[in-house]
Amino acid sequence: MSDELLVVKDLTTTFTTNSGPLTAVGGVSFTLGQNETLGIVGESGSGKTVLSRTIMGLQPRRNVTVTGSAIINGFEVVGASEKAKRQIWGTEVAMVFQDPMTSLNPVMRIGQQIDESLRVRLGMDRASAKARSIELLELVGIPSPVERYNSYPGHLSGGMRQRVVIATALACSPKLLMADEPTTGLDVTIQAQILNLLDELKDRLKMSVILVTHDLGVVATRTSRIVVMYAGRIVEIGDTRDVFYHHRMPYTRALLESSPKVSNHSHTRLQTIPGRPPNLMKLADGCSFAPRCAYATDQCHNVRPTLQAADETGHYFACWNPLPSNRGVRAP
Amino acid sequence: MNDDPSLAGELPGQGLFLIQEATHVEAHERSEPLGVLFWTCVGWIVLNVLGAIFANALPLKSALFQDYNNINVGPGWHHLFGTDDLGRDIFSRVVFGSRVSVAVGVGAMIIGFGIGAPLGMLAAYKRGRFDSIFTTIMYVLLAFPAIIATIAVLSFWTPRALLKIIIVIGLASVPLVYRVIRTATLNVATKDYVIAAKVQGATDRRILIKELLPNIAPIGVSFLLIGIATVITLEGALAFLGLSVNPPTPSWGNMINESRTVLAQNPWLVIFPSAALCLFLLCLNFIGDRLRTHYDVTEVKL
Repeated sequence: MSDELLVVKDLTTTFTTNSGPLTAVGGVSFTLGQNETLGIVGESGSGKTVLSRTIMGLQPRRNVTVTGSAIINGFEVVGASEKAKRQIWGTEVAMVFQDPMTSLNPVMRIGQQIDESLRVRLGMDRASAKARSIELLELVGIPSPVERYNSYPGHLSGGMRQRVVIATALACSPKLLMADEPTTGLDVTIQAQILNLLDELKDRLKMSVILVTHDLGVVATRTSRIVVMYAGRIVEIGDTRDVFYHHRMPYTRALLESSPKVSNHSHTRLQTIPGRPPNLMKLADGCSFAPRCAYATDQCHNVRPTLQAADETGHYFACWNPLPSNRGVRAP
Repeated sequence: MNDDPSLAGELPGQGLFLIQEATHVEAHERSEPLGVLFWTCVGWIVLNVLGAIFANALPLKSALFQDYNNINVGPGWHHLFGTDDLGRDIFSRVVFGSRVSVAVGVGAMIIGFGIGAPLGMLAAYKRGRFDSIFTTIMYVLLAFPAIIATIAVLSFWTPRALLKIIIVIGLASVPLVYRVIRTATLNVATKDYVIAAKVQGATDRRILIKELLPNIAPIGVSFLLIGIATVITLEGALAFLGLSVNPPTPSWGNMINESRTVLAQNPWLVIFPSAALCLFLLCLNFIGDRLRTHYDVTEVKL
């Protein structure tokens, strides 16, 4: 397994709150290979963001317990000191944030923000850092990068800013790029541009990408594998194609059905998943999705299902009453 | 209505102006000028500070010489602001008196910001135990009225000297500065760009200096100016109670205090130092306030 860039094993993040422990991520395991894109999907509050931040080693300093292990290119993040993590931040793993409006320092020139890590981390001198920054701006598709180098974030549109954010993240050529809902703050046409850019950069720079999103349309064509999360746990994981066409977990189907399709007639009522995500404070012993699931039985309510292998390799699901395997049925 | 040329000409123009203002985000470069009043205030402050620094070199009458032939003279050509009950030139005393005010204002704020600002920034950035301990201490100090504390300390710490007054007032202002800077930093420290800098491998020191400091600087500077005004008032109050510099050294506060007894005979004696103090504070407050609104570069204008 040495060719795996990221190995997450039994990762659990528990917040200590005034009303008791809250397990935001519960026993998550998966691996990510070189030059692969993994999508992490789930509703709001399913633990996607906490998971991605835990893998980065970005927990708040207090009231958080992390157990398990997350190894990025041989470096164990869980339990590592801030100082040790600083060694992998930027060079091994970098992050693109949700909102490009707040992820750039408003009082610092764009060029400076990219220069920063080049000079601090890679020890470049002023001139070569500037040259490299301009190169990076060009790489992410900023028009006239030489002029933009001296602009403030306030001079740029949202899409342009997100490109700059990506450029800063790429400055030290990380092997893993964590993109936490990178397009939520942008409008749809820009979304596609940014996603295509990420995709293209992934191939060009030979890095791996984790794409965290609630939008299945985003992950459909751009990821090789998908992790579906519910209430802090993985409920289904597999190759993108398998998750889309041969999913076994009712939650995955519900999620897929609730994304609107262009082919629908106008005024088609949007599909929703009845009920609400569970309170992570009072998780039942059984399957967390059971209260909202049409197929739930007594077993579902009392015993938590573990991940079991589906027909396809690398495809696992956690369900007592899975949807019938439609292997052999032609994918639409 | 329609053929009123002024109205027809003005409305679209105004609309255009509003649109232009709204689309310009570059607050630093293109926002509206600071205004004549602002620069007048700056000029007045600069004039006062220069006067305080170079008082000895200026062609002024002595602030201490007592001319018994000209007691309680009104403003005139010979004595610009008149003389006091001991025949001293009021204009000279006002100019020399500004030295105490400026020294206390600047000196005390250097102490206040020197201690309060780094602590406030660290507390807001580090949070945790460091923050709890210092915030509790500062709030306890804030609960105790600064004026009473300074009076108590100054009445024991004798003989009185300008430096002691500066130190006491400076220390008294630490909790105030701490609170403002901590709150401002808290606001910035949770922003994504701070986390982004962190995950690019920036050290704590770098984040504090490069990311946080420039973002809280506008608030810091305007509070600094308003803080200077506040401690000058405090010095005035102390002087009025006879707890500031010893006479005959003039300060605006002790001039007002001394003139109480001769208010009926010579009102000029209280009017001039009061006016000087009042104008100085007014200008500082106005500059501070104006700068705060001017440099409030948050994206609101989008």
